[in-house]
Amino acid sequence: MSMIAGLPLATATPGGGDLVGLLPEVIVAVGFVALMLMDLVVPPSRRSWLAGATAAVLAGAFAMSVWGWFDAGPAGRTVYFGAVAYDRLSAFVNCVVLVSSLVTVMISPGYLNRRGLHHGEYYALLLAATVGMMLLDAATSLMVIFLAIELLSISLYILSGFARDEERSQEAAIKYLLLGSFASAFMLFGMALVYGETGHTQLAQIALAMSHPGPLDPLLVGGVILMFVGFAFKVSAAPFHFWTPDVYQGAPVAVTTFMSVATKVAAFAVLIRVFDDAFASYYAHWSSVVIAVAIISMVVGNLAALTQTSVKRMLAYSGIAQAGYILIGVAVGVAVPLGVQGALYYLAAYAVTNIGAFAVVTVMSGHGEDLDSYDHLRGLWFRRPYVAAALGFFLLSLGGFPVTAGFFGKFLVFAAAIAAHNVALAIWGIGTSAVSIFYYLRVALLMFQRREEGEEQPYAWPRTSLLGGGAVAATAAGTLILGTAVPLLLTVVQLAQAGTLPGAT
Amino acid sequence: MGSFPWLTVILLLPAAGAVVLQLIPGRRTDAIKGWTVAVVVAEAVLVGMVVFNVATTPAQGGCPGGPYARCAAIGLLPLPMHLQEQAPWITAIGASYHLGVDGVSAWILALNAGVFLVAALVVPRLTTERLKLFCGLMLLTETATTGVLVSLDLLLFYLFWEGMLIPLYFLLAFYGNENRGRATLKFVIYTVAGSLLMLLAIIYLHFQALNQGVNTFDLETLLQTPLAQQSAVPLPFSSVPTLTPQMWAFLAFAVAFAIKLPMVPFHTWLPDLYESAPAPVLVFFAGVVSKLGAYGFIRFGITLFSHPAHQLQPLLVALAVLGILYGAVMVLSQTDIKRMVAYASVSHMSFIALGIFSLDQNGINGALIQIVNHGIIIVGLFLIADWVEARTGTRDIREMAGMERRTPWLYAMFLVITLAALGLPGTLGFVGELTTMLGAFQYFWLLAVLAGVGVVLASWYMLRLHQGLMHEAPTPRTEKVRDLRLREGLVLAPLAALLIFLGVYPHPIGAVTSQSVPAVVRLADAGQVTAHDVPLSHTSGAQR
Repeated sequence: MSMIAGLPLATATPGGGDLVGLLPEVIVAVGFVALMLMDLVVPPSRRSWLAGATAAVLAGAFAMSVWGWFDAGPAGRTVYFGAVAYDRLSAFVNCVVLVSSLVTVMISPGYLNRRGLHHGEYYALLLAATVGMMLLDAATSLMVIFLAIELLSISLYILSGFARDEERSQEAAIKYLLLGSFASAFMLFGMALVYGETGHTQLAQIALAMSHPGPLDPLLVGGVILMFVGFAFKVSAAPFHFWTPDVYQGAPVAVTTFMSVATKVAAFAVLIRVFDDAFASYYAHWSSVVIAVAIISMVVGNLAALTQTSVKRMLAYSGIAQAGYILIGVAVGVAVPLGVQGALYYLAAYAVTNIGAFAVVTVMSGHGEDLDSYDHLRGLWFRRPYVAAALGFFLLSLGGFPVTAGFFGKFLVFAAAIAAHNVALAIWGIGTSAVSIFYYLRVALLMFQRREEGEEQPYAWPRTSLLGGGAVAATAAGTLILGTAVPLLLTVVQLAQAGTLPGAT
Repeated sequence: MGSFPWLTVILLLPAAGAVVLQLIPGRRTDAIKGWTVAVVVAEAVLVGMVVFNVATTPAQGGCPGGPYARCAAIGLLPLPMHLQEQAPWITAIGASYHLGVDGVSAWILALNAGVFLVAALVVPRLTTERLKLFCGLMLLTETATTGVLVSLDLLLFYLFWEGMLIPLYFLLAFYGNENRGRATLKFVIYTVAGSLLMLLAIIYLHFQALNQGVNTFDLETLLQTPLAQQSAVPLPFSSVPTLTPQMWAFLAFAVAFAIKLPMVPFHTWLPDLYESAPAPVLVFFAGVVSKLGAYGFIRFGITLFSHPAHQLQPLLVALAVLGILYGAVMVLSQTDIKRMVAYASVSHMSFIALGIFSLDQNGINGALIQIVNHGIIIVGLFLIADWVEARTGTRDIREMAGMERRTPWLYAMFLVITLAALGLPGTLGFVGELTTMLGAFQYFWLLAVLAGVGVVLASWYMLRLHQGLMHEAPTPRTEKVRDLRLREGLVLAPLAALLIFLGVYPHPIGAVTSQSVPAVVRLADAGQVTAHDVPLSHTSGAQR
């Protein structure tokens, strides 16, 4: 962890150096406005141009983030009076978020056309949510954290109700809105308590204030816990997960693809920054809560996933369980650096794998209802062998088999738990992983099941478009690369972790 | 053989072959099968060279004699190895790419190459759907099993051990009879549950070494980093003091290996899977994949955890003997020929386990010989079972009889394999069982007696199987069966010949295994010397 010390408040006006630190966010934000305007002039038959423009914006922001990784240097710095970090953690998470958005844009046009939902504002909202996530992973001030969360949440509330004629999609949007606002309120209350007790909104100064020895401040502990509850909602950790299956199932699956990955990645990034760094001196007070939530998530997520018969709901519960595994890394991250590294590795691995799994569902969803029931996958292997093989591979990765990305994610967080002398936590993780193999493989096996003679095909799978197939192939390749080129990514996450809280020198 | 990376070549050759295979158009089934066979033949030739090298050249490292600590002081590695390759892999956590082969792994490596060769030869080219995928997955499995046998880094080993399940899963899930879904799921979950525990133990070993300032997953380094003696720790979430952490770690390894082996009571996945898997998969699954559990015990289990292995020895040998008898009794109660062979396999594999857990030079030598012996036998038996099923349309032994008149060649080959399976002198089975029982006798005489009962039962069920199929008057199903085709005969004949040749002249195996077994036993004995706990049974240790 970086050293925590005082930082005088900057008083000068923001300059070019501040703008450089926000450049990827600015590019996406400008793109968001431009796309809203473009939607007015682009004819409806040419909506795929919008997808192309969105992809260009995201690619540009990605390039800037990669450049920023090198420009920010190992320690990083804060910009705009310590409100936003310009460091390797944010550059790394930005890249993961941007890749997730890019894959979503690749699979969207074909899917939206089939579903008759191809409206221009889809892309604008996608970019708005992306800006929110990028700001969230860079935020070093309570205010920016809250604003970023609201920005991404509001965009996602609209996107989950994007299938305007479908009751389920509407229900998902309302549910997400109500429970999301509730969680935001928790977080805001927590922030208010933290601010009230420390007198600061900037993380570096909060850390400084918290590290002063003194009597335990129960209100501050309460604030920390309430903030955790808010984050736990966003990363859909149990027992704050009740919205997840319904929203994932109800929302159009392209939106679910994006939401299930990018939101979680960004929220975990800020969780790591806030808890493993700013609140590090209160570690003893929050770690047991985080450990408890991690265990509950692993148990509830995996056990509930066992009984599902809907692919989307299964993946939702699996996402809850995966959040539990990542939380292991967060929970021990203060004690052992490997915890944060493991969590970051897991995030990247989870992102590429889960987006791949949902991308397959999106690409295979035809006219009318989304592909959802397990039965819809039966015999997919015999008609779409490559797509089926890719889904099988993603499911194996989610289950944590070696040579896939999922293995090293799990390996590192379990290793971190053992290094922190919390073997029991690792055993909970191991036990629940073994359970998870059952439901992942059950779905995979269905694809290999032959149809009976004369039985109709269970679902009209569309032909795989070039873009959709490319997205699936790219994520499959990514899953394999993260599972084999381990030293590379491990170095990246080690460097990313180095600047967890820039500005605190 | 110089510094050429032979082991990397034999490790990557099948995988590279699988990649090239994808370039062949799917309808050219002859080319697909031809290429697959060419790859496995090349692999077999290379492995043959490696084994020859092991047999003829002195190993690097290895403790020539005397107490291990003295060797470590002068920088000698604990295990004598050939053709070692070492390169950094994930430096941050100290994992390295460390390969090596020795007397323990050499013959299993040869067996591995051999069974994949047989499997490639018996793939039915015309009736296998998506032949290219099948062959590709088979070659990937070969890379994984080879990797398990040559890895000397625990993380690398685990990667291959668990990664093996991916091609196997697709092979078992997609090919095979209608019950395969359930059987595959059962097998994978069993295996993964065991393996995950082992992963936990591997991580634990890593941090144990790290606490002593060594950042490593390397087997040889870990062997030189003796685990600190620790007192019993409470079970998680209870305050009952139970076993030491080392004991837990050993149990985690042992469960993983016992599931693969399989030992009673972890065997329940086996009969279902063997019944539903297609023949070529069965050939290498029963032939070598299950042997990897035994290999793991010898390479990692009893060397890294010599102390817990000695403490648990009474339990382990008891389970092994139970497995021998239970498997044999179960064979006698079956009527399905594939299930009979499957349970016979349980019984035979427990014989191997008994040899290992005698923790004695003879016993482990015998176990290694039995691994080769059983690998050959089980391949032959499953091929015969599969061909009989294809000819008669049933696996029920009650519906078959009297095939001898129409199938003299099958009769002869089956007879040789049957006799080897029941351990007749002059076959390899006799050599293996005798040496194993010598080891068991050293530990506790009653074990050898009970294992002998297992051998008697083996004679009973093997002859029952053979006579049931071959003798007496033919049934309607067997009236018109035809004898082995030339191709089938050419696959079986070398197996039968090998069983007899090695039975008469077992020197090639013994010469290689005896290079390494003393080192293994020495490492295993280290636990006995330092053991200050009271043995669980008076027999433990009393013999030495």
